Amino acid sequence: MKIFNSIKWRLQIWYGFFLALVLMGFIGVSSQLEYDRQFHNIDVILSDHTRTIMDFIGRPPRPDESERREISAPTGPRGGFHLPPHDIVNALFDKTGTNGFYFVIWSQDGEELMRSINAPTDLTMPTDQIWTRMRGIYREQFVPFPGRQPVCIILVGHSVATELKEFHKSIIKLIAWGFGMLSVGLFVGWLISSRMIKPIENISTTAAKISAGDLSQRINVAETESELGKLAAVLNSTFARLESAFAQQKQFASDAAHELRTPVSVILTQTQTTLTREREAKDYKETVEACQRAAQRMKRLISALLELTRLDAGQQHIKRKRFDFKETVHESVELIRPIAEEHGLKLISELAPIEITGDSNRLAQVVTNLLTNAIQYNKPHGEIRVKLESQNGLAVLTVADTGQGISHLDLPHVFKRFYRGDKSRTGASNAGLGLAICKAIVEAHSGIIEVESQEEVGTTFTIRLPV
Amino acid sequence: MRILIVEDEPDLLRSLAQALREEGYAVDTAPDGEEGFYKADNYGYDAICLDVMLPKMDGWEILKRLRKTKKTPVLMLTARDQTRDRVRGLDTGADDYLVKPFDLDELFARLRSIIRRSANKTTNEIQIGDVKIDTAARNVFVKDKLVELTAREYALVEFMALHRGEVVTRTQLYEHLFDENDETLSNLLDVHVSNVRKKLGAEFIVTRRGHGYCIE
Repeated sequence: MKIFNSIKWRLQIWYGFFLALVLMGFIGVSSQLEYDRQFHNIDVILSDHTRTIMDFIGRPPRPDESERREISAPTGPRGGFHLPPHDIVNALFDKTGTNGFYFVIWSQDGEELMRSINAPTDLTMPTDQIWTRMRGIYREQFVPFPGRQPVCIILVGHSVATELKEFHKSIIKLIAWGFGMLSVGLFVGWLISSRMIKPIENISTTAAKISAGDLSQRINVAETESELGKLAAVLNSTFARLESAFAQQKQFASDAAHELRTPVSVILTQTQTTLTREREAKDYKETVEACQRAAQRMKRLISALLELTRLDAGQQHIKRKRFDFKETVHESVELIRPIAEEHGLKLISELAPIEITGDSNRLAQVVTNLLTNAIQYNKPHGEIRVKLESQNGLAVLTVADTGQGISHLDLPHVFKRFYRGDKSRTGASNAGLGLAICKAIVEAHSGIIEVESQEEVGTTFTIRLPV
Repeated sequence: MRILIVEDEPDLLRSLAQALREEGYAVDTAPDGEEGFYKADNYGYDAICLDVMLPKMDGWEILKRLRKTKKTPVLMLTARDQTRDRVRGLDTGADDYLVKPFDLDELFARLRSIIRRSANKTTNEIQIGDVKIDTAARNVFVKDKLVELTAREYALVEFMALHRGEVVTRTQLYEHLFDENDETLSNLLDVHVSNVRKKLGAEFIVTRRGHGYCIE
């Protein structure tokens, strides 16, 4: 499995990407705040000093001071600027310490008017408009001072080497923390996604086993409420249905094969015996007749199987047409009547006209089948009663015989495919599919077929069809 | 050799009986379980072909009841070919198991095999002095020369040979050589014995007066 095809890895990559993005944002904001915090104090002091210098420059020389200033000023007033006296300046700006504050004053056209002793030698007049700047390790503030004409530019600065060091240290710390958080986040994310993916892996393992043929496998679902739990439950019920459908299919195929074995045995034994030597014409005829009977039996079985398969395939094979069910039942009854009379049975019908929707041929097949059974399992001189009536919006057809009845052991199984109760009751040629077909047809019409029976009294089949 | 076939499909029953008769067996038939059990319990058969699915009484039941009194070898014929059915059949006391549809040759071979086993023989060949009997090909040789025997004569020789050293009564011989449809005239047996003696040597079958016959 390629990494990018794995949901777990994709989740992890996206998650990691966004976590890194958030952490980077956080580090960015934090470092900005830290930067501001580190330089805010010094900026305030720089402003103070600038203002002090401005005070000196901006103050008109007092007559008593004028003399002293002239003397104390090392360069004297230049170009009409009143510069602060050196002694005051020296008191404010440390002479020697490199960590101390320094200042430079320029005239508007760039001539340096005054500088403190400790001002860095490489300092040049700023030309940009930003009032506060970092220059190497120096923090400097400058201001064009229009207090007096002509304008002069005052720059006050201080070395911030320590603060910068502090700042860099805290940035490194922040980044280290960021990486730590990222790894912990990725690890926890990996755990969570593994945990989340686990049920999917379970499902796929189980599905693989089922696809390999082990239909008894089920997904083990601990939590049934989550989305995956619901999916697993749905899959499990699908698997269960698949398994039972497979089992049914297997049973059906095995039963069908079983039913074919006897007629095939007849054909094999007959032909093999007959072919061992020359026979009389009569013997050959007998053999061919026996083979024909076996073939007829197989033919009946095959058409019954095909019929069931078609009915199993769904309702689309059932025609949907409005017709009078009474007509259908009546035709079937009249078709069967001669056979019933041949067996000495009385066939009584009581039919009310009811229109229903469906396939009249198929339903006629059901009626004929039930009537044939009623004849086959009746007592001599018995009765068959057929009744069609409307009850609660349903067409209800009953076929009752006065036969030997069905034992209560067999009764729940009579509609099962290939089910044959007492072998003496059902002929060997009956594969046990007739009632199963009836049931399939009635159910294809959204109807119900039921049976009631009392041994030695009779059996009643009831069909209820929606009108 | 007398065989009982219990089978409810009439065409199969008829053709099986015919096939086995043509193989030289005396054959009785029963179309349902009750009659099958009655015959199996009341007559001495060399083997029984028993269908499993039978009306009135199924093959398992017949076998279970029969095993209380008789050791007659039973070959089960069935359409059920699942292992558990076979195991059940063999456990209930069936000697062999044949799944429908089958080839007649296989049925014959299996019948010979269960009959042979019940007589404690392991091969198809029985050697008695100069006489050699091949029960598979149903041939008899004297000093390696093939002797022509009728089906009845062969059946007599084979039955006596399988019970070598035992005294076989006339009743037993009647039961095993003739089926229910044969007219059992008492001297018919003497005719067969005398013919066999002519063909295989006068001393081959010894008469035990008042008891029956014996191959020593």
